Amino acid sequence: MDFKSNSLGRRAFLRGTGIALALPWLETFAADNPANETPKRFLSVYHPDGVGVPVKADPAWKDWSWFPHGGEKDFELTKVLDVLEPLRSDITIYSGLSHPAVRRVHGHSNADQYLTGADTKGHGPYRNSISLDQVYAESIGEFTRHSSLVMSTNGGIGGPRGAQTQSFSREGRAIPAMNSPKQIFDMLFVAGDKNASARLARSKSALDLLIEDTRSLGRKISKHDQDTLQQYLDSVRDTEVKLTKAQQWLNAPFPQVDSSSLHLEAGPKEAKQYFQTMYDLIYLAFLSDSTRVATFQLGRENGGGPHDLLSKAVDLGAAHGLTHAVKKKDGWENLGTYNRYQAEEFGRFVSKLKNTTEPIGEGNMLDNTFAMHGSASSSFHLSRNYPIISAGGKNLGFANGRYLNFVGLREDGSLPGAGVISDAGWNSKVVEEEPPLAKLFVSILQRLGVETDSFAGYTGTLNRV
Amino acid sequence: MAVAIQAAGPTVYSPSKHLSTGAQGILSSVDSNKNSKWCGLHENRPVVWMAKFPGEGKVIREYSITSGNDKPSRDPKDWVLEGSKDGAKWTLLDQKTNQPLFDNRLQSRSYKLNNKSSYPFFRFTFLKTHNATHFQFSEICLEGFSFTGVKLGSPPTLKEIREAGALNSIYLKPEAQLPIIQNPGANLKLFKDNIKPLLTEACIGCHGPRKQKGKFRIDTLNPDLIHGGDKDWWLEVMDVLSNGEMPPPDEETQLADSGRTEIIDWLSREIQYASQIARSEKGRSSFRRLTRYEYNYALQDLLGLPWSLARNLPPETDSEDGFKNSSELLQMSTMQFQTYRKIGLKALKRATVSGERPKPVTYIISMKEEMEKAAADKKAKFFNTNDESYARNRNQLHLVNPKTNKGTRFKGGKLTPRPDAVVGQTLPDSPVVVILPKSNELKWNLDRFLPDEGVMRVSIRAGRSSMNPDEYASLRLGMSAHTSNNANFSNIISEKDIPVKGSADKPQLIHFDIHLADIQRNPFRKLTTTFPRRDEFLHIKNISNAHGKEPLQVLINHIVISAPFHDQWPPKTHTDIFFESRNKGDEEKYGREILVRFMERAWRRPVTTKDVDRFIGLFAKYRPELQTFEEAMQEVLATVLAHPEFLYLTQHAAGKAKVEPARISNHELASRLSVFLWSSIPDGELQKLAKQETLSEPKVLEAQVKRMLSDPRSQRFTRHFVGQWLGLDDLDSQTHITDESLKKAMKEEPVAFFEEVLKHNRSIMEFIHSDYAMVNERLANHYGIRNIYGYQFRKTPIEIKQNRGGLLTGAAVLAMNSDGKDSHPLKRGVWMLERILNDPPPPPPPNVPEVDLADPEIQKMTLKERISAHRNDPACHSCHARIDPWGIAFENYDASGSYRTRIKNKPVDATSELFNKEPLAGMDGLKRHLLEERQDQFARAMVHKMSAYALGRPLSFADLAEIEDLTAGFRKKGDRLADLIHMLTRSSIFNGK
Repeated sequence: MDFKSNSLGRRAFLRGTGIALALPWLETFAADNPANETPKRFLSVYHPDGVGVPVKADPAWKDWSWFPHGGEKDFELTKVLDVLEPLRSDITIYSGLSHPAVRRVHGHSNADQYLTGADTKGHGPYRNSISLDQVYAESIGEFTRHSSLVMSTNGGIGGPRGAQTQSFSREGRAIPAMNSPKQIFDMLFVAGDKNASARLARSKSALDLLIEDTRSLGRKISKHDQDTLQQYLDSVRDTEVKLTKAQQWLNAPFPQVDSSSLHLEAGPKEAKQYFQTMYDLIYLAFLSDSTRVATFQLGRENGGGPHDLLSKAVDLGAAHGLTHAVKKKDGWENLGTYNRYQAEEFGRFVSKLKNTTEPIGEGNMLDNTFAMHGSASSSFHLSRNYPIISAGGKNLGFANGRYLNFVGLREDGSLPGAGVISDAGWNSKVVEEEPPLAKLFVSILQRLGVETDSFAGYTGTLNRV
Repeated sequence: MAVAIQAAGPTVYSPSKHLSTGAQGILSSVDSNKNSKWCGLHENRPVVWMAKFPGEGKVIREYSITSGNDKPSRDPKDWVLEGSKDGAKWTLLDQKTNQPLFDNRLQSRSYKLNNKSSYPFFRFTFLKTHNATHFQFSEICLEGFSFTGVKLGSPPTLKEIREAGALNSIYLKPEAQLPIIQNPGANLKLFKDNIKPLLTEACIGCHGPRKQKGKFRIDTLNPDLIHGGDKDWWLEVMDVLSNGEMPPPDEETQLADSGRTEIIDWLSREIQYASQIARSEKGRSSFRRLTRYEYNYALQDLLGLPWSLARNLPPETDSEDGFKNSSELLQMSTMQFQTYRKIGLKALKRATVSGERPKPVTYIISMKEEMEKAAADKKAKFFNTNDESYARNRNQLHLVNPKTNKGTRFKGGKLTPRPDAVVGQTLPDSPVVVILPKSNELKWNLDRFLPDEGVMRVSIRAGRSSMNPDEYASLRLGMSAHTSNNANFSNIISEKDIPVKGSADKPQLIHFDIHLADIQRNPFRKLTTTFPRRDEFLHIKNISNAHGKEPLQVLINHIVISAPFHDQWPPKTHTDIFFESRNKGDEEKYGREILVRFMERAWRRPVTTKDVDRFIGLFAKYRPELQTFEEAMQEVLATVLAHPEFLYLTQHAAGKAKVEPARISNHELASRLSVFLWSSIPDGELQKLAKQETLSEPKVLEAQVKRMLSDPRSQRFTRHFVGQWLGLDDLDSQTHITDESLKKAMKEEPVAFFEEVLKHNRSIMEFIHSDYAMVNERLANHYGIRNIYGYQFRKTPIEIKQNRGGLLTGAAVLAMNSDGKDSHPLKRGVWMLERILNDPPPPPPPNVPEVDLADPEIQKMTLKERISAHRNDPACHSCHARIDPWGIAFENYDASGSYRTRIKNKPVDATSELFNKEPLAGMDGLKRHLLEERQDQFARAMVHKMSAYALGRPLSFADLAEIEDLTAGFRKKGDRLADLIHMLTRSSIFNGK
C-alpha cells in the first residue's frame, strides 16, 4: 500500500486489510471540512467481570496475574498479556485507577459508570451522567456522518446497574448500543433514514423564520439589548449550519465497502468470528471517517446473554463463571486464558490501525487514535484498581511502552485487592487511596482537543500520563 | 420601651452600652450630686435616657435639667420627653427644639408640662447638642419622683433594642436628609499621605528610576485603580505583598508588618471599589432570557401541563448577588437553543392528541378479592382483630374485614391488566381493607404491560385509622425493577407525598398522575425471553409520624392503576389549543385563529397580521408533508416557543420622542409582574388589563399585586427569591445532613418564614430576630421544640433559651456554611456580609497561603485559634478582620445547626470584635448589634436584593438613588414586607425601561 501522495485520489480510494473501500464523499467535504486536518479518534472497549489478581504467594501469581510485574519501563508481561508483547511500544498498562464514588459498590453494578464516573450507587434511586466518549463526540461529532458508534455484544441499554452500553448522554441517559454486525454495516455503509431529509427541511424553514424575526426584533430594541439578542441569533445560525451539514451527509454517497470478507451474519455463538467482525466494523468506521468515536462493551456484568459465550472462542465455559472458579483447579489459568483472548483481539485491532497509513495526515492510524480496553473491577467483584490498557495516540501526545502503577504494592509484593475471591471482599474498607480515573479522562479529552479541565466533578489531569 | 425590672426601686437605663456604665454613666444623672455628670460621645445619634418607677407612677407636671460643669457646647439643644404606662406605648409629654445654651455651668432649668396622666415609665431622647462631639448633663429631675436607691436597669430585650435601634435610622429622622449617592472615588489622599511614602521607602530602590528589576517600576503606577490603567500591576503588588515575597528577605530595606497591612488594606479596598464600579458600568437592562425555572413554569402555565419539562436545560450561573435571573449572566448556546426546540415540541405533543382515544391498560386491586384469594389459599393463616395476639400483627401489613374482624398478613402481589375495565368506572367500597402501617409499603408486580408513554393514574381509596390531629399519614409512590443480580433500581416517582385525610368510614380517593416517559422504566420489559427479568414493581408507601399505643395507619380499600389515562377526550390541554370554531373546516383560517390566540399568550403581547403570516407560511410548507392538521400545527407552534419573543423578556426601545424616563408599556409591565411574582407568563386577567392600558393605574396595580400574592403561583416567588437571596442551594451539596426529610425541612424553613412575614405584612426586622419560629415536626425535633406534629410548617412561639428566631439561626444557613464536620466561621461571616448586609468582602487575593493542616502546631489549635492565627498574618488580616467576627458570633451552632455550649469539652467562645472594635457576644450579641446599629443597612440590603431580583439585573450606581428613596419610604411605613413589594412595583425603577 502506498498512500504517500497527497492527492485527493488516494484519499478517495482506500484499501484496508483486504476490504475495498471507496470514499466518494470526500470530494464533497474536502473544502469545508475544518477537520481537513487529521482526525483524532477515540475507542473504549469494556469487558465485565474483571481479571485475575492472585496474591504474590500464590503459585499462579507469576504467570496468571493480569497485571505485569516490574517497573514502568522494565515491566514484564505475564502469560495473560504476553500476546501484546509485539505491541509493547504502542501500549500503556495502568493499575491503581478507579472511580471513587463506587469503590464500595459490588462490581456487578458498575459497568454503567466506567466511562461516566457517576455515583451510580448499589441500590435505590439511580442517576448517571455523560460518558467520556460522548463528551468528545459533542465536540467533533458534527464532522462525521455519525457522531459516535455505540456497540455491545448484548445490545440495547440494559438496565440500571446492569448496563449493556458504555455510552451515556449529557442528561445521563443510556444510549442504545448496536449488536448486530449486519445492522451496523448497513448504518455505516448502506442505508439512511428516509424521513430524516424531510425532517431537516422542516427544521430549516423554522430556523429561517426565527432568523428573520430575530433580525426585525433587533431593530426595535436598544443597542445594549441587541448584543444579548445576538447570542440567540448566533445559536440559531449555528444550528442552521449544523443542519446543513447533516443534510449534506444525507445527500452524500456512502463509502462503498465490499463486505464479502466480513462475517456480517455472525452472532456471539460464533464467538471468534463475531468478535473479529465487530472490531473490523470499528476499523472500517474509523478508516472511512464515518465516525471518530466508538465504544464497545463485551456483554454485561453478571453473565447472562451473549457475552458469556465469547469464552467459547478459547474452549472455556461461561465467562462469568470463570471469575468464580479461580480457586478451583486451573482456575487462575482459565480466567487468564480468557482475558488473554480478549487482549489478543484488541491487539489484532491495534495492529491493524498501526499497519494502515493515516488517510489524511501523518503517520499511521494508530498514532491518531487513542484506544482503551478495560473493566470496572479487578479482583472478584472488587470495584478498584481497574485493569486498563491503552494503545496508540502518539500524535496526540501519549508516550507508550509503559506500565503505570498508581497505587503501589503491598508489603507482601501483591497489588492491593489481590486475592479477593469471595463476596466478602468487595465491600471492604478502602485502605489504599487510588487517583480518580476521571483525571485520566481529563488528560485524554485535552489531548483529543477538548477544552476542559474537569470530568465527573474531578479537576485536573493525571500525572505521569 | 420597657426596662426589664427586677429591682423594687427606680431604675434608669440607656440602650447604648457605652453610655450606661462607668464613672460618667447614666447613674450620674440621677445621683443628686451636681459634681458628677452623665457624659459621652453621641456619635450623631439620639441619646436615650429611660427611667422606670415602681407601681402605677404619678402625674408629672415639671422636670428640670442641670447643665454640666464645662464645655457649654455639650448642652442639649433638641429633645423629646415621653411617658408610658407599660413601657411599650409612649405618649409625647414635651418637645423642645433650638434651646439656647445654659447661662451658667451647673445651672438647673425647669420645664413645665401640660400633663394629667400618671406614668411609671419616662424616656428622654436628646436629639442635638450645640455642635459638640459629646453630650453631657449633671442632673435630670422629674418633679415628684425620687431616685433614692436608683439602680441601673437590665439590658433591654431584643424587641426593645429593635425599637431603640429604629431611632438610629437616618431614614426615620424627621428632617431625614438622604446621603448623596455618588460613585466612590479612588482614595488618592490616603495614597499620597500614607501609602506612597511606605512604597517609596520599601520598593523604590529596585523598582524606581534607578533600577527596574523585573522590568517593573512602582513610582510611575497610577494610584487611581478605578480610572487609571494600572489595575493589573496593582494586583501583582497586592499578590507579592500579601505573600510576603517582597521585599526579598535579603534586601536591606524591609517593610514592617504594620506598613504591609496598611498597604494591603488600602489596596484591597481600592480593588473592591474598582470592581464594583466596573460591574455597575456594564449597563442596566432587564432584557434577558427566561431562566430555566421560569421557562418551565411558563410552559406549564401556557399548556396546562403539570410536569417538569425543562430538566435538560443547563443550570443557570449565580450572579454576584446570588441571583439566577440576572440579565448579564443568562447566556444562550447552540446546544441550549436546540434543547428549547426539543422541549417545546415534546411539550406540545403531550398537550395535544390526534386520532382515537387510546385504550388504557388497567389494573384493579380490590381488597375484597384479595381476601377471597387468601381464603382460598389453604396455607394462609387468619387471625381475629379482637384477639390478644392481634398485637403481633397490628403493625404489619395485613388485610382485615372490619365487619368480621378477620384478618391475614398481606404484602401485595402480581397483577395482570383487566381487559374488561371501563374507563372512569368507580368501584364500590369493599368491606375489606388492607392496613398499611407507618413506613410500610405495598409492592405490586405490574409485569411488563404499562405503555411507554402517557400518564399513569394511580387511584387509591384510602382512609385513616384514627383522626388524632397530631398524627399524619401520607402516601408515596415508587417504581422498581430487579433485572438481575446487582442490577436494580428503586426510584420515588411521585413528586409530593399526598396526605390521607379521609376517615375509616369516609375514605377519600387519592390520585397520583405520573408521566411514564419521565420515570426510569425497566428497559427489558419488551424482551421476548424472560431473563433479564422484565417486570416492573409499583410501591405504595406510608410516610407518617404515627406514634403512641395504637399508631395511625392507612386503610386502603381498593387501587386502580390505569395508563394512558385521560380524564376527558380530547383532553383539555388539547382543546385549549385546538378550540371549537366554526372555521374548523378551513385549515388555514382555523390555523390562523389558533396561532393568534397561542402567540398572544406565549409572547405576552398582541400580535400583528404580519407576525402571524410568517407562521401560516410555515404551516403551508409543513402541511403536505405531515399526515394530520394537528401534527403540522404542533411543529408550527413549537417554532412559536423557540422564538425570542417567548424565550426572552423583550423590551422595546424607548422612542426618541418620549419623555425621559421612559416607562415600560402595559404589556411589558404585565410580563415584569408575572415573572417577578409568579416566575411565569401573565394570566388572562393581567393580559386583559394590559390591553385596556389600565394595569399601570396605581389602584389597579395594587389590586393586581394583591391578587398575585394571594395566588398559589406566588409560592414560586417565595421559593425562588428566598432560595437565591440566601443561597440555599448550597445545602444540596452538603452531604453531612444525611436525613433527607430533615434536609428538606431545613431548606423549607426560611421560605415558610418569609411567607409568614409576607402574608401578614410584618416587619423584615423579624428576619433578624423573632419571638416565634416556623417549624414542622421534623425541624422542631431538630431544634428541641416539643409537641409539634405534622409535616406542615406553622408559627410557634419560642423562648429566648431556645436560641432560635429569625433567619440567622435557621439550620439550613448554619449547615450549608459548615465544612461538613464543624461550623465554618469564615463561610458564615461571608454569608452574613453578602446575603444579609449586602456588603460583600473582596475576593481572596490570588495564592493566599493555605492553612497547613498537617502542621502539628496548627492541629493543636482550636478552630477559633486557627482562624485568629490566620487573621494575624498581615497578608490575611485586612479581609479577615472584616469577615471573621461575624462568623465567630455563630459559634454556638454546629455543622447541623444544633445549639451547643461546648466544643470538644471546652466551653464555646463565640465572642468577637468587629473591625470597628464593636464587641459581638455570640448570636444574641450579633442580633443586638444588627437591631441596634444596622437596621438601615439591612433594610437597604433587603430593598436592594428584592429590586435586583424583581428587575432581573444587577443594580448600578445610577439605581442607588432610587434604592435610597425606596428604602426611606419602606422604613417610614414600618419595614413591612408586603408594603415593600407594593412600593417596588409602583416605583419608577420597576416601571422604567
